[in-house]
Amino acid sequence: MLVLTKIPRRSSCPQRIAFPSTAWEVAPVLMAITIMLAILRASRRPMRTDMSASRVAGLALVVVLPLVPSLAQTSNPPDLTQATLEDLLKMQVTSVSKKEEPLSKAGAAVFVITQEDIRRSGATNIPDLLRLVPGVNVAQIDSNNWAIGIRGFGDLYADKVLVLIDGRSVYNPMASGVNWDAQDLPLEDIERIEVIRGPGGTVWGANAVNGVINIMTKSAKNTQGGLVSAGGGSSTTGQGLAQYGGAIGDTGTYRVFGKYSDIASTTLPGGGSAEDGWHSTHGGFRSDWDLSPTDTLTVQGDLLQAREGQNQTTVIASQLPLTETFTERSDMSAANILARWNHTLANGSDTSLQIYDDYTRRVVAGGLIWQDTFDVNFQHHVKLGSRQDVVWGLDARVSSLHMGQGYTIGFLPDQRTDLLVSAFAQDEVKIASTLSLTVGSKFEHNDYSGFAFEPSAQLVWNPTARQALWLSAAKAIRQPDVVDTSLVSDVATFPTGPGTFGVVEILGSPNPNVETLNDFEAGYRIQAAKRLSVDASTFLSYYHNLRTLEAQAPYFVTGPGAPYVVVPTVFEFIGTARSFGGELSVNWNPVDRWRLSAGSALIQMKFSKNAADVDTQPGDGATGTPQQQYQLRSQLTLPHRFEWDGSLAYVGRLTVGVPAYTRVDARFGWRMNGHTDFSVVGQNLLSPRHAEFPSELGVNYTLVVRSVFAKVSWRF
Amino acid sequence: MIFRISLGIALGTVLGTSARAQVVDEYQLKAAFLYNFAKFVDWPPQAFKSPTDPIVICIVGKNPFGRNLDQAVKGQVVRGRSFIVRQVADLQQLSVCHMVFVAASERKQLAAIFGEIKTSAVLTVGESEDFTAEGGMINFRIEDGNVRLQINAQAAAQQQIHISSKLLGLAQIVRK
Repeated sequence: MLVLTKIPRRSSCPQRIAFPSTAWEVAPVLMAITIMLAILRASRRPMRTDMSASRVAGLALVVVLPLVPSLAQTSNPPDLTQATLEDLLKMQVTSVSKKEEPLSKAGAAVFVITQEDIRRSGATNIPDLLRLVPGVNVAQIDSNNWAIGIRGFGDLYADKVLVLIDGRSVYNPMASGVNWDAQDLPLEDIERIEVIRGPGGTVWGANAVNGVINIMTKSAKNTQGGLVSAGGGSSTTGQGLAQYGGAIGDTGTYRVFGKYSDIASTTLPGGGSAEDGWHSTHGGFRSDWDLSPTDTLTVQGDLLQAREGQNQTTVIASQLPLTETFTERSDMSAANILARWNHTLANGSDTSLQIYDDYTRRVVAGGLIWQDTFDVNFQHHVKLGSRQDVVWGLDARVSSLHMGQGYTIGFLPDQRTDLLVSAFAQDEVKIASTLSLTVGSKFEHNDYSGFAFEPSAQLVWNPTARQALWLSAAKAIRQPDVVDTSLVSDVATFPTGPGTFGVVEILGSPNPNVETLNDFEAGYRIQAAKRLSVDASTFLSYYHNLRTLEAQAPYFVTGPGAPYVVVPTVFEFIGTARSFGGELSVNWNPVDRWRLSAGSALIQMKFSKNAADVDTQPGDGATGTPQQQYQLRSQLTLPHRFEWDGSLAYVGRLTVGVPAYTRVDARFGWRMNGHTDFSVVGQNLLSPRHAEFPSELGVNYTLVVRSVFAKVSWRF
Repeated sequence: MIFRISLGIALGTVLGTSARAQVVDEYQLKAAFLYNFAKFVDWPPQAFKSPTDPIVICIVGKNPFGRNLDQAVKGQVVRGRSFIVRQVADLQQLSVCHMVFVAASERKQLAAIFGEIKTSAVLTVGESEDFTAEGGMINFRIEDGNVRLQINAQAAAQQQIHISSKLLGLAQIVRK
């Protein structure tokens, strides 16, 4: 990697780079030592709940240190014109902040996490990255489970958020949600993560109810050469990546990688280890080909294996009324392969054909579950005249599920194969030079509930080139799943007298319905000045046919053992809810080297009960949702390629008894030269441990602890 | 614990011996790219009146380069041609340019700009997200602190601009 001093220079251009004070040269060292000492001291202490000195110090470090005066730097521009193109491509620019963020044309609340954000967040997993997005609630349940909701409905299986990695849906068709432990991508390979808050059903289809998280990895062309990184710390005890990218002939490029992660066990609320630590090995590849000036091909795949622990409290259905709390260790494996061919037609329109297969095998509460999804997708994007921009597409998906009997969770039938077919079309019409209207709909058929359609309309007005005002209305659905229809589970037992007992049983519904959202939104974005941008959005959402749990008439079971009473409860789809809220995100670059981002998200949810509703789950969407979230992030680039980054985030309480908490994370990084990067990250510096979410069926919650992680990476 | 302490020592050591490396200004780097493009792009003969005619680089929109571009091309000669840098206020002046840099401020105007020069052999360079999608030829993207190139080879070919395979090989090829 080329650093400036190695560039041949012309004598006409004097090279003197002067920093105003030597104080700035020692400042990073002092800061690093201070934070290390603070972390070391804090990590030796037992659990405390008071606002202690080191807590205040941690807060001060993160919040006050970036408030240093602007780092004036005088330098005569060196001559770069003698450098080769290859060298120019390797150079680092001082700040990405100068680049004006383009005002997205989309009539939706979109937030983009860039590679720079990823690197400077210090996160070691995708859930922690998503904490950057205002309006996304990330709650860690234990060391390998997260509840990630957008605009409410946060849950272990958050069934109203669709997540895609390079166009492949990782939404679990069994339980409707995402297994975040299986999405263990090398973060260095992520190009960007787009988070769309609000319904995306028109383009993305079922389950894109409250949002879409679109994770895109870099083209193999942009990851040429080698990358080795190794890190370790107290929560992520070890993480290593080895990657190499090269060329295949004149037209193709590839990368292959192997990644290993070892994650420490978390702490049970009552003390003691949850024994839920885990480790995973992930191998993968991506190759990109320029087949012709009009054709590109991408082929990629992953193999992942993990062994993890799960602390749980469960009824043992075969030994009623026995209920046990224990940690189960089990293996999980996943594999996927995807190919995508993009072709540009003679008329300038472009098409894409994508095929993937995704396989997962894991043990859930004692039951072996395996699932396979095969998907074929076609899209065509064409401009009609000068005013219309049309995208349409077709999709077919076959999902096979096999669900073994667990301690209490079982399914009847215990296997099924389903077909999902859909078509969509969306047209963006330029009504006037500053006004455009986008209308479209998805038409979808699934084997659980038949036909559904998901229309939407967005109006975008650009009063000036730097402002956008948008309005949208959309309908989106959550498709019923196998839990809705086929679950048979004894969830609790209770004594009815000496030696007798009762069992509460949950049963799937023979007539599932689609959960439906009708959503209205408005938003405003402005690039107020070169250094300031603001993005605000507000929404009003009406949900119908939400899943509820209804008790049926109890009955007695007489069998070989003692007779007992069964209280059956059945899923019904009669809940309604209304939510109202908004998100605000502000980016400010007071100076080139310093970027501040602030965000907030507010939501009010109101669930209405049907007269017949004796819901034993009083709206999981409301309970798993903090009403308020605020965050502040700072990215400060110091001289000598040092970086000092911090974030402060407040998450309001959950009504299910999880108190509000404040997270403070800090990162100190050094890009030594173009090849080698160092970083030290402290997470949750403010408090030794806190809870973020309650227990779920089959998963007991544990405490998120203060942690430190250090990493070295080397590119060659 | 041992790990953390040893890490602290290691980090302290490397911090103490830090080399004087510097990163470069974004627009200084982009200016150097513009100069390099002239070396790896062929214009059709009719684009110039004579073999020694200078290459005219035009900036449309708010000039983000400051003095960087002037300094980068001052005194430089590529295949017998020197350079002239012009700030263009009126789009009709674009026909005299060989290379047009469209500043990020003009991203809403891309269609109008491309419409003005669609019959001329003009290399278009931009720095907006939709630049190549709208018909621009070379786009700068910042990725992980590096400048990356996106090239719409089809758009270049349509305007008789030949981009060398070396430059293409270093860029991400995108389509309209």
